[in-house]
Amino acid sequence: MRLLVLTVLSVALMVVDARFDTLKPLRSHMAQVLTPFYWLAERPVRLWESVSQQFSSRDELIAENEKLKAEALLLQRRLQKLATLTEQNVRLRELLNSAALVDDKVLVGELIGIDPNPFTHRILIDKGEKDGVFLGQPVLDALGLMGQVVEVMPYSARVLLLTDNTHSIPVQVNRNGLRAIAIGTGNPERLELRHVADTADIKEGDLLVSSGLGQRFPAGYPVATVNEVIHDSGQPFAVVRAVPTARLNRSRYLLLVFSDQRTPEQRAVDAALAQEAADREAGAVAGAPAPTPATAPAAPGAAPLASPAAAGVPPAAPTTEGARQ
Amino acid sequence: MTATRPRNGWFVWFSLLLALLLSVAPMPDFMQVGRPLWLALLLAYWSQAAPQRVGMTRTWLLGLAADVLYGTPLGQTALVLALIVFMLMSLQQRLRMFPVWQQSLVLLVVFGLAQLVQLWLNTLTGNRPPTLLFLFPALVSALLWPWVFTVMRWCSRRLSVY
Repeated sequence: MRLLVLTVLSVALMVVDARFDTLKPLRSHMAQVLTPFYWLAERPVRLWESVSQQFSSRDELIAENEKLKAEALLLQRRLQKLATLTEQNVRLRELLNSAALVDDKVLVGELIGIDPNPFTHRILIDKGEKDGVFLGQPVLDALGLMGQVVEVMPYSARVLLLTDNTHSIPVQVNRNGLRAIAIGTGNPERLELRHVADTADIKEGDLLVSSGLGQRFPAGYPVATVNEVIHDSGQPFAVVRAVPTARLNRSRYLLLVFSDQRTPEQRAVDAALAQEAADREAGAVAGAPAPTPATAPAAPGAAPLASPAAAGVPPAAPTTEGARQ
Repeated sequence: MTATRPRNGWFVWFSLLLALLLSVAPMPDFMQVGRPLWLALLLAYWSQAAPQRVGMTRTWLLGLAADVLYGTPLGQTALVLALIVFMLMSLQQRLRMFPVWQQSLVLLVVFGLAQLVQLWLNTLTGNRPPTLLFLFPALVSALLWPWVFTVMRWCSRRLSVY
C-alpha cells in the first residue's frame, strides 16, 4: 500500500519536474544543501594532487617553467598578429557596413564533479545563479566549445557536454562555410555530422566551428576536427565523424561565455558612437593632417547625428550577415 | 522488540550518507561503468539487519536527495530505491536463512530488476544507453555484497545497533 502511494508520488514528481518549472525552487534549495557532497567527495583526489605537487622534483618544475615560457612567447607572437588582424577585420566590416564583432565576456569556472551515470556526459561546475550563470549558457575550454548549461543551482551549475546523446550543435566547416549539425554519440571522443550530402566538400582534417545559427552558441568557436568521412553507396548520406577539439574529459578549468545581450540596433548605435569618439580622439591628436582620415570617418561620423537614420540602416546589416552565415 | 529504545541510530544514517558520498565520488573513466550501487547495497543491509530503522518513506526521501545530487528527474532514484527496499522487505524472512553467497544471488536479481526500471525511466527522458552495460553495476554490487555485509555486521555488532 505504501509502495503504491510512493510510486504514484514519484511518477507525479517526475512528470511535473520534466514538464513544468514549479519544482525549481525546491530543487535549488536541496541542491544548496547537497552540493558540499561533491566538494567532499573530491577532497581525497585534491589532497593527493596537492601532496604530489609538494613532492614533485625541482627538475620537473624547472622543465615545466621552461615549457610555459616557450608557450607564452609563442602566444605573444600570435597576439601581435591578432592586433593587426582585428584592425583589418574592423576596417573590412566598416566597408561592408556590418556591425562590428564585439569580444564576448567570460567567467572562469572550475569543475567540481562528474555525473556518476557513465551514459550521460554532464559535469558540475562551481559557478551558479549567484555568479550570473544562466540556462543555455555556452561553456568553453582553452581549445574549443565544451557544451551548455542545463541546470542552474545557487552556487553550482550542471553542464551538458557536446558528446552527450541528447546534444547537437549547428556547425560550419571553417574552410568553405558548409553547414551541418554535429550530434553527440555518447562517446567522449566522437561527434557525428548528420545529413551531409555524399558530394559535399568535406574531408579529413577539416575544422568545424560553431555557426551561431541555433542562437545559443556564439559563432566562430572551434568545435571539432573531422577525422573520418565514409562514402557508402548504400547510404543516402555520407557518414562523417569528428573529434571534439575541447578536452571534454580532461579540462579542469572552463570558461562561461556571456554573449552580447544588446539588440542589433543598439549594438550598431554603440559601435557608431565608439567610432566617432575614436575619430575625434584621432583628430585631436593628428590635428592638421585632416585629408587622409577625413574620407574614412565621414560615414560613421554622420550616423550618430542623424540617429533615426542610424537606427534605420544598421538593422539591415545584421540580418544580411545572419543570412550569409 | 518494539519496547527497546533504538540505539546508535546515528550509525545507520551515517552509513547511508557515506553511501551517498561514495556514489558521487570521482572514479577513473574505465571504472565508471561498473560503479557499485552503494545506496542500494547499504539499504539492503539495513533492511535485513534493522528493518525498523529504514522504512520505505525514509528510503524514498533519501532517494529524492540522490536525485538532486545526480541531476535526474526528481523521483526517479527515489522510486527505484523504494522498489528495492520493498522487494527485500518482502523477501526478508527467507533471505535471513540463506548463506551469504545465496543472498548475493538474490541481490543480483533484485538489483538487475532495479536497473531495468532505471533504464525504462531513462528512456522516457530520451537518454538510452546503447548496450547491456547498464546491468554491470548490478553484478558488481552483488559481488561486493559479502564484503559489505561482513564489514557492516562487524561495525553494527561493535556499536550494537538495532
